[in-house]
Amino acid sequence: MKKLIDSYFRLLTYLMVAAVALLIFPVTLQIISRYTALIPSYIWTEELSRFLFIWMVMLGSMIGVREGSHFEVDVWPTLKPRPTALLRIVSNVFVLIFAVVFLWWGMQFVRFGWNQDSELAELPMVYIFAAWPLAGATWMLFLGESFVANFRILLGGEPT
Amino acid sequence: MMTSIALTPGMAALVLFGMFFTMLIVRVPVAFALGLACLPVLMFEPRLSPMALFNETFKAYNSFILLAVPLFLLTANLMSVGGITDRLVRLSRAMVGNFPGALAQINVLLSVFFAGISGSSTADAASQSKIFIEAQVKEGYGLSFSIAITAVSAVLAVIIPPSILMIVWGGVISTSIGAMYLAGIIPGLLIAAAQMVTVHVYAKIYNYPVYPRATLKEFFYSAWISVPALFTPFIIVGGILLGWFTATESAAVAVLYAAVLSIFFYREMGLKQLYGALAETGRLSAIALFCVGTASAFGWMLAYYQIPKALLANVTTWGMGITGVGFFIAFVFLVVGCFLDAIPAIIIVGTILQPLAESVHMHPIHFAIIGIVSLAFGLVTPPYGLCLMISCAVAKVPLKFALKDTMIMLIPMLLMLAAIIIFPDIPLILPRLLAPELLK
Repeated sequence: MKKLIDSYFRLLTYLMVAAVALLIFPVTLQIISRYTALIPSYIWTEELSRFLFIWMVMLGSMIGVREGSHFEVDVWPTLKPRPTALLRIVSNVFVLIFAVVFLWWGMQFVRFGWNQDSELAELPMVYIFAAWPLAGATWMLFLGESFVANFRILLGGEPT
Repeated sequence: MMTSIALTPGMAALVLFGMFFTMLIVRVPVAFALGLACLPVLMFEPRLSPMALFNETFKAYNSFILLAVPLFLLTANLMSVGGITDRLVRLSRAMVGNFPGALAQINVLLSVFFAGISGSSTADAASQSKIFIEAQVKEGYGLSFSIAITAVSAVLAVIIPPSILMIVWGGVISTSIGAMYLAGIIPGLLIAAAQMVTVHVYAKIYNYPVYPRATLKEFFYSAWISVPALFTPFIIVGGILLGWFTATESAAVAVLYAAVLSIFFYREMGLKQLYGALAETGRLSAIALFCVGTASAFGWMLAYYQIPKALLANVTTWGMGITGVGFFIAFVFLVVGCFLDAIPAIIIVGTILQPLAESVHMHPIHFAIIGIVSLAFGLVTPPYGLCLMISCAVAKVPLKFALKDTMIMLIPMLLMLAAIIIFPDIPLILPRLLAPELLK
């Protein structure tokens, strides 16, 4: 199971890196086409870069949940492992609620975009809106993993 | 219209802020806490549904302006892995190495150079913490001092152009980005000077080490190899002022320039480093930007219940002048900056304060610089100061550890902020001289 999640996580990371790398091209094309006659000025460059950007943000938000790198405000003194695990479980319950909302209403969001095409490149909007429920589902998966780890610590098993 | 709203503004504000702070206390990440705080109201209010959450986050991410955030971060990361940072360290050492507290002075000066290339303080804090904190401690500087000076000097990156915050400000409050870039230069240099004075005083009290004075030859050589890197701000700011490219495009130009320098000129970057720079950029910018989406939803909720209007109703009756309003705006941004990242703070609070600034005829560029400098200071104020958090994370100590020194260093910086508020000419003189048409 852990191996499966690991490879899924690696896939997400590759996709995010690809999104960042690809971001440069449409913006560069936009500048080059304005000043030279080498390439026609494509109207979809701006839109394409925005869509890559949306996917980069959503993929990064999924990766951030597993890495625990979403920024938190820390008002607690340094706690022992067990209280820390308990606090983590409580906060994860809230994040889980948000994940469920993203998955459930995100599906409606996708349905709403079913017959929509983007304004310029005429891409089906489904390809964009799908990032939201996917984020919800992925957070749930990573949160599940974190719940197991924290309950182990709480119940005094060997910390993994 | 008002009658169809089930919650009164007061009630809605109580639920929104109450939920937000409760969740922060139990360590829910800020981005999620902002989104979750909207949920009960969205469920309860008959005219709204959680779909609003999706529309608002989508609208926030579907923005050509915010694209500049990953691009500027990538520029900074390419500079670090491509050997550009090393050259700038060498130049800084040749310039200030013979001052008391040499390494800390180099730390500040490098932040100034870096600020002219990168528009992101978090990128500056991340890369310089790795370079300086351990090295300073090894030379006998206090750990807490080393963390604090690295974090506070990192805030220069968003004050000296290019700046991510100015691009976001320009997009949200429609102010000329070119004019803000010019206006940020002198305030940024003044704050850097205040930090160097602070380091000097520390170095005298604690006897921090000095390097031998660099030879004139070393100075010229290190300046020569740094010229291509130091040229970046002129390309970016000049290109925008001359109308060659938009702010977002200028960020892409900066990336390409950094890539060309790293690959062809300094030749220190391989594929592995490139992948690392891209992954690091994606991670950090996605986390920061995800928060922008939920913050936009939160800000939209506040606007829906007209909470900002209710909050500001009293303030306009106080009869403050430009300076009074300036201090009020700085105070609000400093307080908000303690709890929120700067970009969501601009989206939520900047738009709220704009009518107030307008009502006393404060110059929009003056307003922008006061806001951006105050929010930049928020990057090192607890409990949510990203730069301080990053520096502490690199040094593997809790945030509280470096708090005292950070607060001491903030005092001279706050005096500079006060000077910027009292004398609008400090930010306004450069745009007035170089690009008067942008000030209108």
